[in-house]
Amino acid sequence: MIYILADNITSPLGATTQENLEAVLQGRSALRRYEGLWGIPTAVCASLFSREQTARMAREGMTRFEAFAYCSAREAMSRCKIDVASERTLFVLSTTKGNIELLGTEKEQRISPTEAAEHIARALGFKGEPLTVCNACISGVSAMITAGRLLEAGCYDTAVVTGADVACRFTVSGFQALKAVSEDACRPFDLERLGLNLGEAAATVVLSRKAPEGAPALWAIEAGAVNNDAHHITSPSPRAEGASAALRAVASDDLALINAHGTATMFNDQMESVAIAGCGHGDVPVNALKGYTGHTLGAAGILETVLTAAALERGFILPTKGYSERGVSGRIDIVSALRKTDGRRFVKMISGFGGGNAALSLVRTEAKEEFAEKKVPEFVRTHSVKITPDKVLVDGREIACEGEGLAKLTALYKQYIASYPKYYKMDPLARLGFVASELLLQAEGKERKEEDATRGVVLCNSSSSIMADRAYEATVGAGDNYYPSPSAFIYTLPNIVTGEIALRNGYRGETSFCIMPRKDEALIDRIVGATLLDRRLDSLIAGWIDCTDDTHYEASIYIIESNK
Amino acid sequence: MEELELELKQEIIKVLNLEDMTPDDIETDAPLFGEGLGLDSIDVLEIIVLLEKKYGIKLANPAEGKGIFKSIATIADYVSKNRKK
Repeated sequence: MIYILADNITSPLGATTQENLEAVLQGRSALRRYEGLWGIPTAVCASLFSREQTARMAREGMTRFEAFAYCSAREAMSRCKIDVASERTLFVLSTTKGNIELLGTEKEQRISPTEAAEHIARALGFKGEPLTVCNACISGVSAMITAGRLLEAGCYDTAVVTGADVACRFTVSGFQALKAVSEDACRPFDLERLGLNLGEAAATVVLSRKAPEGAPALWAIEAGAVNNDAHHITSPSPRAEGASAALRAVASDDLALINAHGTATMFNDQMESVAIAGCGHGDVPVNALKGYTGHTLGAAGILETVLTAAALERGFILPTKGYSERGVSGRIDIVSALRKTDGRRFVKMISGFGGGNAALSLVRTEAKEEFAEKKVPEFVRTHSVKITPDKVLVDGREIACEGEGLAKLTALYKQYIASYPKYYKMDPLARLGFVASELLLQAEGKERKEEDATRGVVLCNSSSSIMADRAYEATVGAGDNYYPSPSAFIYTLPNIVTGEIALRNGYRGETSFCIMPRKDEALIDRIVGATLLDRRLDSLIAGWIDCTDDTHYEASIYIIESNK
Repeated sequence: MEELELELKQEIIKVLNLEDMTPDDIETDAPLFGEGLGLDSIDVLEIIVLLEKKYGIKLANPAEGKGIFKSIATIADYVSKNRKK
């Protein structure tokens, strides 16, 4: 278990967890309908920071995104004592698109989330290098799980985990292209739900294996799990395999509530209801909080966990704003009005593009013990593939290949793989990961299974999805020429490559994408080891996969076998 | 109509990156989803963008498209009746 020493929510509803809780208890929502926003021809309903709030948080030398994240982290850190300068204190940033607003400006080199993470971490006084977790909508929960495991594995003593995203033309147009947004306030789980609203926010938890002396009761993370659906790159599986597996891995039978993702899209809410009812939790109260703050993307998992915990601490289960009549097939108990409870344990669920589903179990507990370290299973690299513009190595041996630049990937596909037309729809990063993983699996030589819950995919880079970002931006347009491409938008989430590999191979284990300042083998190994603390996993496809232009790309990936 | 059908096949091959395919490979009446070309929900969204961009047809709700996106023939029929450009 991992203690939460302090937390913060920074949203248009307030600058602290308590301010946000008070606003929500009063039934306030930050969702507003805007016309003519960012040259987008339709109305946009979103939760946005006001000009005054933005000015209050502004910091010299920081972008809007960085300032929001910084303010959230700083406020949480001011509520507890941690040694921020220690190398054993880690800063983790959870975001989907970070500084994407800088695309096409002169500050564009700062667009990778890891650059933003470094700026924020340095301003907060961290000396060690930060880690960024970028797993689309599940980022916040998956960042807490990853950070918690790194603490359990003894790699660090303390972790500050901050999730943040800003709403802007890039993200709003993308979700519009996917027909996922509603022009009115969202209605999670409701019969008449029409889609989600985006929201700006930052939220933070400070995690530690050790409670401070004399601390009262604290919230602790009991368990976390991530499972891929291996069903489709954006649509959740109607059978909810991934969400059910994650829920089953963490849920006990005395839950005060389940805080669902509840985006208010047709498919997400339906899928969650199937998972919750199917796992036997039909009588557990379920709520969703996006009617207050919108879908805050990289912040969502943390914000909603913290808000749910803060309400429970006061004996409340928060109502699902926007919900009135059940519009999902799973028979679940959706909370529509404030309820009292003396329960002390809940589960946060979340699902996202790339097929990822995560669940996290939290309990209010007396702070006394220091939780023991967990032993990371030994692991070995059994096979390797390295692809660069110069060379393709499989298990260290060079293989022949035609083609120059990125065209080399298609040559490899045609020569060694073929018969997977979806390849042509992928962006360069996903193509690179796909081709490398196929060569790796050929080297392994095992028969392909229909489904495999014992294998996960964990990939890292430093440039995020820069090529896809540029390609998508070129399609957006404005005014009468506003045609954002849905398929191009999807690949602006770098974790999609992990989803593509899971989908191709039926992998239902954890999928995760991390971004770091440089290729740091030691850190990648720590993340791999921490992931293998999930004892359901026997093996991983893991490693480095970066792609910035036609002549700069590298995949160095491995099959990792756990000797658990 | 045949001309429009051919044009739709060419455009769909382009926007959906159906590499190595020619209009001759797509049967006008064959199903586009499942059995036939095996298109998925993202492909539908991309075809919706195409209809809007090229023919000025706005389809706000993808669910409306169920009948429309059965085959090239049904799309061509819908486009010919509803096109604005």
